[in-house]
Amino acid sequence: MKISYVEYQKNEAYDELLDRYTHPRAAAQALFEYLNALKPGELETRRRSVDAAIMAMGITFTVYSEAGNIDRAWPFDIIPRVMAKKEWDRIEEGLKQRLIALNLFINDLYNEQKIIKDGVFPREVLAGSHNFREQCRGITPRFGVWAHVCGTDLVRDKDGTIYVLEDNLRVPSGVSYMLENRQIMKRIFPEIFQTCSILPVDDYPTQLHDALAALSPRDGERPVVAVLTPGIYNSAYFEHSYLAQQMGAVLVEGSDLMVDSDDQVYMKTISGPRRVDVIYRRIDDDFIDPEVFRADSSLGVPGLMRAWRAGKVGIANAPGAGVADDKVVYTFVPQIIRYYLDQDAILQNVPSYLCMNETDKDYVLTHLDKLVVKPANESGGYGMIIGPRATHDERLKFAELIRANPRNYMAQPTLSISTAPTLDGDSLVPRHLDLRPFILQSSHLYATTGGLTRVAMRPGSLVVNSSQGGGSKDTWIVETEE
Amino acid sequence: MLSRVAENVYWMARYLERAENTARLINTTTQVLLDLPKEASFGWDILLKVAGLDQLYDEFGKETNEMSIMYFLIEDERNPSGLVSSINCARENSRTFREILPKEFWERVNSLYLYMREHAPRTFQSRASRYEVLNQVIDRCQSLSGLLMGCMSHDLAYQFIELGRSIERADMTTRIVDINSAVLFSKQDMALEPLQERLWMAVLKALSAYQMYRRHVCVHVSGQDVLNFLLQDTHFPRSVRHCLGKIDESLATLPHQAVTLRVARKAWRRMAGLRWEGLTPAVLHEYLDQTQTDLGDIHRTLSNQYFHPPVSTADGPQTTLISSQSEQQA
Repeated sequence: MKISYVEYQKNEAYDELLDRYTHPRAAAQALFEYLNALKPGELETRRRSVDAAIMAMGITFTVYSEAGNIDRAWPFDIIPRVMAKKEWDRIEEGLKQRLIALNLFINDLYNEQKIIKDGVFPREVLAGSHNFREQCRGITPRFGVWAHVCGTDLVRDKDGTIYVLEDNLRVPSGVSYMLENRQIMKRIFPEIFQTCSILPVDDYPTQLHDALAALSPRDGERPVVAVLTPGIYNSAYFEHSYLAQQMGAVLVEGSDLMVDSDDQVYMKTISGPRRVDVIYRRIDDDFIDPEVFRADSSLGVPGLMRAWRAGKVGIANAPGAGVADDKVVYTFVPQIIRYYLDQDAILQNVPSYLCMNETDKDYVLTHLDKLVVKPANESGGYGMIIGPRATHDERLKFAELIRANPRNYMAQPTLSISTAPTLDGDSLVPRHLDLRPFILQSSHLYATTGGLTRVAMRPGSLVVNSSQGGGSKDTWIVETEE
Repeated sequence: MLSRVAENVYWMARYLERAENTARLINTTTQVLLDLPKEASFGWDILLKVAGLDQLYDEFGKETNEMSIMYFLIEDERNPSGLVSSINCARENSRTFREILPKEFWERVNSLYLYMREHAPRTFQSRASRYEVLNQVIDRCQSLSGLLMGCMSHDLAYQFIELGRSIERADMTTRIVDINSAVLFSKQDMALEPLQERLWMAVLKALSAYQMYRRHVCVHVSGQDVLNFLLQDTHFPRSVRHCLGKIDESLATLPHQAVTLRVARKAWRRMAGLRWEGLTPAVLHEYLDQTQTDLGDIHRTLSNQYFHPPVSTADGPQTTLISSQSEQQA
């Protein structure tokens, strides 16, 4: 194993594991001692056995393309991303603070809308939100919580500051890869887990189960929890099946469920209908109930909203929670935290320009070559433009889109997002990455230890989404002696 | 247990059994055809008849040479009962209930699928490589069955696996026996006597029954003894009567099984009541046809009772559900 000094000299970003003299940072010290002691070629051998293991375990995701849907093996880099526990603790606190505030915000929007009346949040932003569901007005779910599972994307800038890139409050995915990555690492590098104090990640399924079970309308009985999946052709099907298996929950498709005239949800079993208490749905709002939302949806369950409104079933995340999962709403999160919690945000937002404001829009249009512009309601890296990397023509076309619908766009300066050493042949090269921790809120709060690190495998690339060729790394939160 | 999962488990077992049977049928037939004198040889299309695929094959209007037929039986994905299709379906079905099977099961089904994807083209290089690849398929299917038998709780899901496997198995046995007996009985020429013995031997081998037959029945291979062994033996796991017995046992453990059990027992009684005195080939053929219809009836009642039942809840009104899943290839 050797570090590619050529590539590292060119690297202007902050590196997670190596300082600017390419010496390991404190948290990565033990890892590098271990790596340096390996025989030449050893790392490459282990990488190969990882690839074989991933193929055999059938850890895949589906890529949708015109040539048909392809089942691809999950690209994985065997060099972990390491973070000191001390730093992580502060991040965890910030993530929890954020989710508490967002849930208060969502509940307020669907009820009294005090934040609008008090002039902190503009009514026209709400009016333009695709994810606000009029059908959810007047409802307060259990614990006042709408987003029970949140995946928040974090990046680190050149100076070492951690920023929140976005909050995913609809159906965030990736947690199963976080869990499987750790399993693979333990299989391949058992020795290092003995010498290094790496915090475990595997209590997530239990925590998720407890968070879901707490939503059951039947207190005192063992609740029937179901994971609702769109089916095997969904790119995250692997995860749906994995989580159901880990939680001992039932994996159901829409056609397995029915809502009867008593507003109760039942699943169809070989012994007849059986009551379902909590649904962890992995289907977008639009598709969950053809009676209320898209009538052409065959993935959902007719009457599900009726059952939820009547309090006969718990649904996570609650329908309508996506209203806060909007890149324009995102820019208001620091104010939202101050308004509801009377606190300063622990985690910073990336400075943002809202195209709905005339001055911001003019700035965005004249600085397109320096900014990243994102549509408000897309996820997975679709529909955005990275100004400095786009052609002149692409920028012109995008400017038209912004002028046509300014409410739908927000822009941010291009951050120099951090890198970590990634194996390329037998040498370590810097590759850009982000971090997606998962936070749960129900009867209690919980955050994963670390999260899913996604890495852009191509040199210089900033796109980490698996649907666009990104890979992942195991994420280690380690105790350091300081 | 979810109705959809029960159906998927059941079909997964049928597809796996079908893949194993198809592979064995092709390998045995190949060996027998090589053994026969030229004038006695029957065509490769006998494989299509046994598999019940002759009509479908005709629709594609292909020639009846070895290569085209093998392609259709092994790789052609337009053939829903082909080897590659069966393995793909078994894997796709397994994906939908990974959470209820032993963890290694999915990895091994997946590995069978990857193996087939890589090696199916080799079955056209030579008969030797075809033999080798198909043998691998048989091995792997058996290792999957063994894994389920040894590592899976014999719960409701397991009973649906047993049902799928037994129905598919009994169906295959009746088909092989039926076609071969038709071929054999029609040739009353005395000169063909030793040839007949060899063909009956092939029938036994196609069902992995040769050794057990010799051990439990007789060293000599005679038509009636073979038929008796494959249809009515109570201990040989591929005999039709044994399979029907297994179906009965599995059904008995399911909830609300009365109707299905009645249909299964009727089939069992019919098979147990078969008498050999004065049995003409034509009557036997009718008998086997009837057994296949019986198996179809068992499948249909299973489907109506467990997979796509009319649904009612405790105090709600009766609701008839329209199946969202199209009937899979029987």
